[in-house]
Amino acid sequence: MRGESLRIRVFHMQDVTVGARFELKPDRLQVPTTFSYDCPDIEQLTIHVLPPHCRDLETNTIMDFIPISTKVLGTPGTGITHTLTGVCVALCGAIRDGEQMHEFGSTEGLLNDHVKWGRPGTPKEDDYLIVIDMLAKKDCILTRKLCLEMFALADEYIQHIRVLMKEMDGRSAVETHVYEEKTHPGKPRVALVRQVAGQGAMYDTMVFPVEPSGFTGGVSIIDMNNMPVFLKANEIRDGMLRAMV
Amino acid sequence: MGIGPSTKETTKHYFEDPLVNVFAEDPDIDFVGVIVVGTPQDNRMKHLVGQRVAAWLSGMKCDGAVVSADGWGNSDVDFVNTLEQIGRRGISVVGLKFIGKQANFVVQNEYTKRVLDINKSVDGRETEIIGENAVAHVDAIKALAAIKLVIRKHATSE
Repeated sequence: MRGESLRIRVFHMQDVTVGARFELKPDRLQVPTTFSYDCPDIEQLTIHVLPPHCRDLETNTIMDFIPISTKVLGTPGTGITHTLTGVCVALCGAIRDGEQMHEFGSTEGLLNDHVKWGRPGTPKEDDYLIVIDMLAKKDCILTRKLCLEMFALADEYIQHIRVLMKEMDGRSAVETHVYEEKTHPGKPRVALVRQVAGQGAMYDTMVFPVEPSGFTGGVSIIDMNNMPVFLKANEIRDGMLRAMV
Repeated sequence: MGIGPSTKETTKHYFEDPLVNVFAEDPDIDFVGVIVVGTPQDNRMKHLVGQRVAAWLSGMKCDGAVVSADGWGNSDVDFVNTLEQIGRRGISVVGLKFIGKQANFVVQNEYTKRVLDINKSVDGRETEIIGENAVAHVDAIKALAAIKLVIRKHATSE
C-alpha cells in the first residue's frame, strides 16, 4: 500500500424536500429555493427539486452535474469524506435573450430529452435532482468570467449543505468505502493521462478545490498554462478534479 | 468541434471515474496515478505539454499509458502529439476518444490506430444527450485489456 487510505462515508437521501432553510438528517435533506447572493451579473436564479423519475422540466443548457460531498478529516485523497447519494445537483445557465452557457452543442429544453440517466457522469433515474438554473443579465457576454461566476454561485449554495454534512455522525452512514492505494510490484507500471479543456469560457478544468467536487480554492488548468498535473487515484476519488465544460 | 454534450465529462463523472476505478483495482498492473493535461491554444505550448507528459511518464518508469480525451476536432492535434511523444520514449500507449462517424482524426500518425472509439450512439454522431458517449465502465475495461496487450507485444518484440 502507498500512503494513507481514504474513507468515503455515504449518506443515502430517501427524501429531498423544499423548505425555508437547509436541514439535513441521515436520510433526508431540506433545501430552500431562494438564496441570497451577491453577483451583479446574475439576474435570476431558479431552484427546483425534482423527485425520482420526474424529469419533465424545461431548463437552460446543462452546465454540470455535481455530487454533494465534503471533507471531514485529513487532506484530499486521505482521511474521511462524507457524500450524499440519492441526490445530485444539476447546474444550468444562459444569458437572457442571448446565448446558452455552452461551448459546442447545448442541451436546453426538457431534461429528459438531453440526459442518458445512470451513466458515471449523470444522476440515476431514481435520484432526487436539485436543479439550479441561472439567467445572466441581458447584455452579458459569454466570457470565462461569467462562467466562473455561475460555478462559484452554485458552489456557494452547495456549501450550505456541506457545512451540515460535516456534523453528521459517521455511524449513521449507510456504507463506508475504504480506498487503499495498492501497489503491485513487478507488474507493468501503467498511468492514465487525461486531456482536459483549457482554453476559456465553458472550456476549462479545475484541480484541487478545497471541497470534493467543489469550486472555491481550486486552480484552473488555464492559469497553469495547461501544464500537466499529477493526481493520485484517491485524489481523483476525493473529487479533486472539477469539470467546467 | 470541441467538447459536445454527449462526450463531455461532468464533475460527477470525475468523482465516479470509471477509468480510475478499473485501473486502480486491477492486480495485474501497478497503477501509478493520473496525469491531467490541458489543451493550449498556442502551437509551441501544444507540443511542450505533450513532451512534459511523456517526460513525466518516463521519469516514473511507466511501461504503459492510456490517454483519454472528452473532446474532438481541434484538440486532436494535442491528443495525437501526446500519443507520439509517449510512444517515442518506448512507452506503450493506447488512446480513448470519440470517433463515431463524425470525428475521424484531423491529424494522424502511427499511434492513432491504437485509439479506441468511445462512441455508443446508434448513428455515431454527437447526439446532444449528456452521458451517451462519454467513457463508461465498458470503455475502461476495453482500454485496460488493450494496454495490457500492447505492453505484452512490446515486451516480446524487444
